[in-house]
Amino acid sequence: MATRRLYYEDAEIGDDIGPVQRVVSGAQVAEFSRVWRAESEPSRFSDAEVARREGLPGPMVPGAMSVAMLSQLVLGWSTTVTLKKIDVIFRQVVVHGVALTLKGAVTDKGLVDGEPQVECDLTIENSEGATLVIGKATVRLPNRG
Amino acid sequence: MAEDPDIKFDHSLLGVAHSLGSFSVTREMIVAFAIATGETDPAFTGEGAATESGHDDIVAPPTFCNAFLNIASRPDIRLEFGDTGFFAGQAIDCLASVRPGDTLLATTKLQDVYAKTGRSGKMVFVAWETTFTNQRSETVALVRDTHVRRNKRT
Repeated sequence: MATRRLYYEDAEIGDDIGPVQRVVSGAQVAEFSRVWRAESEPSRFSDAEVARREGLPGPMVPGAMSVAMLSQLVLGWSTTVTLKKIDVIFRQVVVHGVALTLKGAVTDKGLVDGEPQVECDLTIENSEGATLVIGKATVRLPNRG
Repeated sequence: MAEDPDIKFDHSLLGVAHSLGSFSVTREMIVAFAIATGETDPAFTGEGAATESGHDDIVAPPTFCNAFLNIASRPDIRLEFGDTGFFAGQAIDCLASVRPGDTLLATTKLQDVYAKTGRSGKMVFVAWETTFTNQRSETVALVRDTHVRRNKRT
């Protein structure tokens, strides 16, 4: 959760966002699946054998959870951030119970129709440094004063 | 993207709006979604300090519309390719806040179906665009998601 207050003038290209460490457990995926109303029978999200039959390294974290976690990374940058757009590509499977590093970097800033906006690149990596998820976000930051 | 004549699917669905129904948003749904995704911000979880954010009540996290995309049934495009499918990517335009008491109307349309060839062979991507509109006819989110079909690796 964000604690600092950033303004548009504070953000510079190359600034880091995060990193944040996360581990998504099978129990968390089960809870998300309940909210998400996914099928209750064993699936690639919940069952190692089903995942193996589908050629996966293990039960996977739903993509919607990865999108949510990346949005949390961006919103956690500052209490003043408003997320306008997030665009995510799933490159590799995110499996349960592994250490994930979520991080971002500012790639551009400018006024769009008079609104101060900042562009960011986002990634989720595993502990081996493999990039599992990539993304971009557009956020609004308030002007100082 | 150029249309691939070798991809067999129901072309009549391309660009045609299809209602996914309406969804009543409750505080409990927002909190459950927030907690299930590991959210800790009280503006979304409702724990303690929600009013400090300046809101009367909690607001939904920006990706909350995903809670409805899984239960919503899209039309079957009758794609004749591949024996497994995955979520390939998603873009969400967050256009307005979603709050308890809102009623969201979801409308989806098939945007594109196209093929790419990678290390694992040919893949077919199916792209949908879903618009969520609230009871005041404000578009609150525009969600573009892409699903890939391919053959299982042997």
